[in-house]
Amino acid sequence: MMQRLIHILWPPFLVAGVADILFTTLFDPLEILYRGEPLIEHRIAAYTIGFFVFWLLGIASSMLTCYFQRGADEINRCPLPPRNRPAGCPKREDEDACC
Amino acid sequence: MTDDKQATPASADAPIEQQLYAIRQKIQPRAVHGVFANWRIALVLLTQAVYYGLPWLQWDNRQAVLFDLAARKFYIFGLVFWPQDFVYLTGLLILSALALFLFTAVAGRLWCGYVCPQTVYTELFMWVEEWLEGDHLARKKLDKSPWNANKLRRRGLKHLAWIVLALWTGFTFVGYFTPIQTLGAEAASLSLGPWETFWILFYGFATWGNAGFMREQVCKYMCPYARFQSVMFDSDTLTVTYDSSIGEPRGPRSKKTDYKAAGLGTCIDCNVCVQVCPTGIDIRNGLQYECIGCAACIDGCDQIMDKMGYPRGLIRYTTENVVKGKYPDAGIIKHVLRPRTLIYTVLLALIAGAFVYSLATRVPLRVDVVRDRAALSKETDEGMIENVYRLQLINMDGQPHRYTISAQGIDDLEVAAARETTAAPFQTIDIPVSLIADPEELKGRSIEVTFTIQATDDPRIRDEVATKFFNR
Ligand code: SF4
Ligand code: SF4
Repeated sequence: MMQRLIHILWPPFLVAGVADILFTTLFDPLEILYRGEPLIEHRIAAYTIGFFVFWLLGIASSMLTCYFQRGADEINRCPLPPRNRPAGCPKREDEDACC
Repeated sequence: MTDDKQATPASADAPIEQQLYAIRQKIQPRAVHGVFANWRIALVLLTQAVYYGLPWLQWDNRQAVLFDLAARKFYIFGLVFWPQDFVYLTGLLILSALALFLFTAVAGRLWCGYVCPQTVYTELFMWVEEWLEGDHLARKKLDKSPWNANKLRRRGLKHLAWIVLALWTGFTFVGYFTPIQTLGAEAASLSLGPWETFWILFYGFATWGNAGFMREQVCKYMCPYARFQSVMFDSDTLTVTYDSSIGEPRGPRSKKTDYKAAGLGTCIDCNVCVQVCPTGIDIRNGLQYECIGCAACIDGCDQIMDKMGYPRGLIRYTTENVVKGKYPDAGIIKHVLRPRTLIYTVLLALIAGAFVYSLATRVPLRVDVVRDRAALSKETDEGMIENVYRLQLINMDGQPHRYTISAQGIDDLEVAAARETTAAPFQTIDIPVSLIADPEELKGRSIEVTFTIQATDDPRIRDEVATKFFNR
């Protein structure tokens, strides 16, 4: 579980850092206007929010990757009743695990 | 990788899935003393003296190294950079990457073993741990013992010390991005801004988590460098290596036994090299990507060799080719020079040269044109065409300057407003400039024009920017 968490959180963290640096060097956040007013008043606040927005987007993408990565046998219903499942099968102890 | 590796069930044969979900065994490495341990201590102290001390250093009445995010200005001693100087940052990154390639090709994971913040903070945190919780055996016992007053006190003290260290690290980190003296004053009066507070806590939390808990897992699962460092290795790269040619066959024996006569190698199978390893691997299984090259196993093994009266260096820095018997240890130096390292060195020298040259000849003036989209061009009362621009001028010099503004590209083009301006040291100014041209001279809808901004006191300080002049 720990490693799946790392897979989901960590690559987007790295990418968000790079994206934030690139984005904020290209654009001064104070010049991003929304109806004529700067969208965010403080630069540090803008950098921080920018970082977390990038991170969240990346997390969403990584979660989808993990979700689509599940193999067929993880999705399919197991044909064996739980007790007969081979040792080491994560669904063995779980009576109502079906999918 | 040697064949022994294949035989370790946990690594090669286990199904991938099981590896991914295998519960991590907490590693409590045994402390070692020796030459390389001393190097590590020295480098921890050196890097941290620089890291914690640098933001307090002053230069010209300002912080010597400050990446002032709020003002979008980076100060590095006498130099000041703006976001427009992004190319220097890129250059610096390329230089660091090449230097890392070079070091890795020559001597493996020197970076990981001695200076990577992950290693350094883990080391710092482990010193605290050893001090408050005792050696590796005491710590293992404490891990197993039920929660009682003693455990609570020891653990509590440890975390308190860790948290203080982590917060100080976070505070220093933020001090590189906002002036640290103000930050310190604000922290002392408990009036830190919300964003600064957030980043101090965030970075502190990351330090505490990475150095206190994640430790070798960061290297194994999160570090990009650890994943690709092996492509920079070749058979002449110095790495921490177990010399199986003298160690095997391994086995326990008494000190008095003549091991050669008994058909044994010098490895007494005491497992010290495994106990000291912060990543929990057995170096005797050959070069593994988990090995961060910290050389703790060298120190550990050398101690045992001394005790047994055997020659040191069963585990040592050496190359694959030496172990294979292609040349003796003395030949390592000669093999440092090889095409791969030469190419890295030449590239490094070229880019470093270009970097220094362009910094040295950098003109301390930069001008950008900002066009006002609403008011492109208009006709004046005299029937002339006028275009209005905004010039953004950065005086990158430590001196104030007066500048003249002129424009070329159209016959009889006139700069109507702001023919001169001044800027204080390191100041960015916005100046509206209007250009007036005779419609007779205008051929086409838009014409290329060039602004020339020239310092009055120094002919070398000038900048040109091209833009367009719009006809009606
Ligand atoms: S593997 Fe990565 S994180 Fe670990 S010591 Fe090396 S560079 Fe640092
Ligand atoms: S095998 Fe040796 S050099 Fe590699 S990480 Fe372990 S102790 Fe350090």
